[in-house]
Amino acid sequence: MSHIDIRDMSFTYTGKRMILKDINLQIEQGEWVAILGHNGSGKSTLAKTLVGLLEPAQGTVAIAGTIITPETTPAIRKQIGIVFQNPDNQFVGVTVRDDIAFGMENLCVSREEMLERIAFFAKKVGMEKYLDKEPASLSGGQKQRVAIAGILAMQTGIMIFDEATSMLDPYAREDLMKYIRQLHQEGLTIIMITHEIEEALLADRLVIMKEGKIFADGRKEELLKQPEVFAQSALVMPLALQMAMQLDDEATFGEVKAFLWESTFAK
Amino acid sequence: MGIHFREVSFHYPQNQLTFYQAIADITLQIAKQDEFICLIGRTGSGKSTLAQHMNALLLPTEGSVEIFGSLITNKRDKKINYNLLRKHVGLVFQFPEYQLFEETVEKDIMFGPLNFHVPPEQAKQIASETIKLVGLDETYLKRNPFNLSGGEKKRVSIAGILAFDPDILVLDEPTSGLDPQGKIQMMELFKAIQAKTGKSIIIITHDMDLVYEHASRVIVLHDGSLIYDESPEVLFRRGDLEQFHLQYPNTIKVLSALRDRFGLDLDIYQKNLPDALLAIKKAVAR
Amino acid sequence: MKNIVLGQYLPGQGFFYRMDPRTKIIGVIALMVAIFLLETIPQLLIALAIGVVCMLLGRLSIKRIAKGMRPLFILLIFTFFFQILFNKEGSILLQETLTISLASIGAIIALTILWRLLAKLRRFRFLLLLGYLAGVYFSLAYLAYGYTFASFVFTVYERGVEMSVFVVIRLLVIITLSTILTLTTKPTDLTQGLESLMRPLKVIGIRSDEFALIISISLRYIPTILDEANKIMAAQASRGADFLQGRLKDKIRQIISLLVPMFIIAFKRSEDLADAMETRNFIPGMKRTRISELAFGKTDILATLFIVSSLAASIVLRVL
Ligand SMILES: Nc1ncnc2c1ncn2[C@@H]1O[C@H](COP(=O)(O)OP(=O)(O)OP(=O)(O)O)[C@@H](O)[C@H]1O
Ligand SMILES: Nc1ncnc2c1ncn2[C@@H]1O[C@H](COP(=O)(O)OP(=O)(O)OP(=O)(O)O)[C@@H](O)[C@H]1O
Ligand SMILES: [Mg+2]
Ligand SMILES: [Mg+2]
Repeated sequence: MSHIDIRDMSFTYTGKRMILKDINLQIEQGEWVAILGHNGSGKSTLAKTLVGLLEPAQGTVAIAGTIITPETTPAIRKQIGIVFQNPDNQFVGVTVRDDIAFGMENLCVSREEMLERIAFFAKKVGMEKYLDKEPASLSGGQKQRVAIAGILAMQTGIMIFDEATSMLDPYAREDLMKYIRQLHQEGLTIIMITHEIEEALLADRLVIMKEGKIFADGRKEELLKQPEVFAQSALVMPLALQMAMQLDDEATFGEVKAFLWESTFAK
Repeated sequence: MGIHFREVSFHYPQNQLTFYQAIADITLQIAKQDEFICLIGRTGSGKSTLAQHMNALLLPTEGSVEIFGSLITNKRDKKINYNLLRKHVGLVFQFPEYQLFEETVEKDIMFGPLNFHVPPEQAKQIASETIKLVGLDETYLKRNPFNLSGGEKKRVSIAGILAFDPDILVLDEPTSGLDPQGKIQMMELFKAIQAKTGKSIIIITHDMDLVYEHASRVIVLHDGSLIYDESPEVLFRRGDLEQFHLQYPNTIKVLSALRDRFGLDLDIYQKNLPDALLAIKKAVAR
Repeated sequence: MKNIVLGQYLPGQGFFYRMDPRTKIIGVIALMVAIFLLETIPQLLIALAIGVVCMLLGRLSIKRIAKGMRPLFILLIFTFFFQILFNKEGSILLQETLTISLASIGAIIALTILWRLLAKLRRFRFLLLLGYLAGVYFSLAYLAYGYTFASFVFTVYERGVEMSVFVVIRLLVIITLSTILTLTTKPTDLTQGLESLMRPLKVIGIRSDEFALIISISLRYIPTILDEANKIMAAQASRGADFLQGRLKDKIRQIISLLVPMFIIAFKRSEDLADAMETRNFIPGMKRTRISELAFGKTDILATLFIVSSLAASIVLRVL
């Protein structure tokens, strides 16, 4: 049985138009999955069904063998952390410190431990100097950093990032990705919704959504060999691969192409 | 004409005793026409704060900003028609949620034109034209802007500014949250607007590829100070960008990796894919 | 709207910030009682002076607090005139027949024009307003020429003046007290303090944690609505509807166009907020640990001493 198991799931906000249609998705423990897809394809909606915020119209979502129902959600949520797309709507605390602490408080982490983790994760996202600031007085990227720290500090087994790095500078993004990779190596399950193909390349597996359905799902090495899949779902291939594909003269560019492929996956 | 910053500093009040200096001593001139400026810098460097000075949403604590001939200082001047300034300079906010407030997408897009005295029927017409420009279809017009996906909201927020046809466009991270092809189309749209009308466009972004490919001028902020104001060609030849938490564009990164790996005589400073391919072909032929 | 301080926490330093919220809550209540026990204007003035000294010692900016209380000045002015007009005790200080006549109406119109013209002199706005009101009063009192529409007798009694000054100062002191509390105490600390203080009430069946949650959510909500208003105003301003510009008629229309979305958005926001709290494992009524610890320290002991002696002093004054 898979760690995350979505079966024949459909979802609708209004009762009329189905936003998610017949989703079947199994994610194993310790996998790193990137979810891609055009605007409005249903990525955020899917993420919300995973944490029991939205209830499927049909089908089931199960986490670690337990099907999500109103009764089981509290227990299930202890295993999942989610960073929402808009950092602004997830500030609970009055200060950055309180906000990072909020999730831990609910998990009954001891005060000493909390202080330690806050110090650690605030530093991790580069917000250690802002602990006493109010959320309203942070820049866009700083808000995203705090939102991320609040979820990392909960140390859940599954972490979902919904375009959580869209407003970070390249340096901060790289830094965070390094840390997520470390978490991944420690065995965490990571689901990353993103529009940045270079970011998605860090994952093992790509899930591409289109118009509420899963359009393609597979290991990145496989999917990247099919440019048509990308073209049909509003995506763009990584630059190095675009180069490799357009250098068609195998005899002259063989070596160059091999290198471009290799370096794309070496990330 | 255009926008002229003269030694501008801005302080956010922090508590009763202290303040936070978000931008410091910025002097900067933006022409009314034909500029394509990218404003970059690490998170919290003051980009959004600077942008909000361009249409007098924030008033400088020190110094002055001249916007289309009106001198903005730290006191609100009764003689200045601020609404007119907003017609000159259109600002798209970083968070679309900060910008949308009407019950339907249509009303939201019409809000600007109506304020600038466009007749209602014509404003409606404009709304249905602009929504298509930003890559959504007319069915979105009747929807509630708060029930859209992140990228859809972003598109509507851009449409709301394009709709009243400002003379200068200031866009705070207009491509964050857009899907890759949407990003390309949005940039094409801005380019087309500029080609047609010559309007200056200022874009805040963290996307170095976009900067390298499109900007004619890059302004770099760091801790509230303006450190570079130059062409992207000059900027990305600098060796110290990482120190300011910036990066090099992908083309440069990939090409330099190739050059180092194969010892090619390769000009790595290429702005887009076709040029990069040509350069590789040339280098390999050598 | 940026400067509304009422009920909003403002980070800072100084001993008010170091105090235990419980001390502050009880202290404010006790001091309010003490203020209500005072009976004369001089006593109140002394209390006000002590308050100001405390604020200075606690490094609170009085200017900033006064600025934040500005919306309440209307309340103060209203109370003041209410007392003057309707308190009819003591000896008569002033009695005047006010007449609305052609001449007085003409004079008032002239004064109004003059006032609006001079209003550009921003710095003397308050004095100007006072002058204007005085002018209106004198025109009504002495310019009874031409056709008379109506006239009435305006009487000011001694007690009326006394009481109005007294009530206004008392209100001022009380508002200041509660402003200090909310200004220097984080909402979370405030609710935690309340919760802890109300724990004994469990005996009579009141769940203090639920009560505290309701309070904390409403406290969290006030700034959210204000924030929302600010954001919408910025959004409207940047699309050609600047709130600070335009005639009164435009402003009224704009306030209406602000109110509806403000509540809709704030409501939507609170939904998102509830989602965020839920996904971070918040379950109302469940046990949780706290990052901020309530601790009774040296400052609190001093403060308690101060509060107890103030209360004692006012009781003594009252009884004597
Ligand atoms: N609250 C809602 N009520 C009704 N429809 C909604 C609501 N939220 C989203 N939708 C619609 O559902 C579809 C999927 O939205 P979702 O937010 O899941 O997209 P997404 O893949 O995350 O897109 P993006 O990349 O833009 O974030 C969109 O067409 C959107 O308009
Ligand atoms: N309302 C505010 N009150 C106090 N400080 C603020 C406020 N808004 C921003 N700041 C501070 O000012 C600095 C600059 O913020 P600004 O939003 O201009 O940054 P930015 O360059 O746009 O960053 P980002 O890329 O993250 O959007 C930040 O350090 C931020 O903490
Ligand atoms: Mg989304
Ligand atoms: Mg910004």
